[in-house]
Amino acid sequence: MESMLKLAGESGLYLMTPGEAVMIAVGLALLYLAIAKEFEPLLLVPIGFGGILANIPGAGLAVGDGILHLFYEVGIDSGAFPLIIFMGVGAMTDFGALLANPKTLFLGAAAQFGIFATVVGAIALTYGGFMEFSLAQAAAIGIIGGADGPTAIYVSSILAPELLGAIAVAAYSYMALVPLIQPPIMRLLTSEEERRIEMRQLRHVSKGEKIVFPLLLLLMVALLLPSAAPLLGMFCFGNLMRECGVVERLSNTTQNALINIVTIFLGLAVGSKLQADQFLDVQTLGILVLGMVAFSIGTASGVVMAKLMNRLSKEPINPLIGAAGVSAVPMAARVANKVGLESNPHNFLLMHAMGPNVAGVIGSAVAAGVMISFVGG
Amino acid sequence: MLLGMGTVFVFLTALVFATRLMSLAVGRIAPEAAPGPSADPDSTAHSKILDSEILAAITAAIHRHRSRHK
Repeated sequence: MESMLKLAGESGLYLMTPGEAVMIAVGLALLYLAIAKEFEPLLLVPIGFGGILANIPGAGLAVGDGILHLFYEVGIDSGAFPLIIFMGVGAMTDFGALLANPKTLFLGAAAQFGIFATVVGAIALTYGGFMEFSLAQAAAIGIIGGADGPTAIYVSSILAPELLGAIAVAAYSYMALVPLIQPPIMRLLTSEEERRIEMRQLRHVSKGEKIVFPLLLLLMVALLLPSAAPLLGMFCFGNLMRECGVVERLSNTTQNALINIVTIFLGLAVGSKLQADQFLDVQTLGILVLGMVAFSIGTASGVVMAKLMNRLSKEPINPLIGAAGVSAVPMAARVANKVGLESNPHNFLLMHAMGPNVAGVIGSAVAAGVMISFVGG
Repeated sequence: MLLGMGTVFVFLTALVFATRLMSLAVGRIAPEAAPGPSADPDSTAHSKILDSEILAAITAAIHRHRSRHK
């Protein structure tokens, strides 16, 4: 009888706190979004499941020697996982469209405005007495506006590890929501005529240019902004492996097997940060709202910048491609293409939008470097 | 915030110019042969030979199959 009582006392039903129950429901909701709605399933399935595992009462998977906590320490606390993912992203990125039209880098820069505007917003909320965010936390939240998962995780693991779970969930959710969030903003800021603008066909980019570009980018980072070197260094390395053409095997592994393996563990490790006592907080609500604001401002400033460039430049530029300046490769470029086709069925903007899209990846990594050196150091 | 945004812009502006220069330089130093349909003229001829060989083999196989199953 006594041992029966002991067993009952250790059961999940007996030990479960309301917070843990809510978090398990949140984990299930993430799984639902990933499986039924296909919201970034590659990330949200491991994150959602990890979130459930982390909240199993009494099991302690996400604390101490628990396996999820070990994944977190090895991969995220050390900064390794996001960087390895960035190497894979580099190996998957084709800079052709960017090299054919380097001006689109400006669009990638403009769309980072959302990041910095959100930092100011978060600090304003703190001064207004609504919520408490330190400068480092505000910076980590702003990076959500870069719409780049690994960058957001990397920055928050350095600046605000306590908010990592909420920031990662917000970043990946908004990336999945790109096709819903962006089009209304894009339509609001452009006229029908502007959306119809057809762009000139991109020139051919030689293999030599593609090989030299990652090295050039690395050199610029080394000379001007060493704080962005971890992210962009791994990115350039992955891209060089892709373009140089002599390490096909390494390039294939990096963009397939390696990035997949790391994604699994990254997702589970992020899930370990979805513990009730850390996640169920007013701050999480603030992060979700501010992340959305960051993302919208980024989209808007990209479009406005593209409008400006269209006025000033001799070549026609369709303002819609500016929205692709928030990274979210290749979703944002596809959205620009789709909205363009609605106004002009013969207007294929996809390749043109890939330029600002990959520029956005560089832009958010640069912004991340700036944040880390201003706030962290 | 202005400082941060400024840094991003300065960096990417520098990158725009550097990329332009690089493209020019690469075009000068290692010009690539213009890609076109003439790149591999004998490939089509080659595939024709292959086609006729395969066709012959298939015809022979069908012929043998039919003669065997009569």
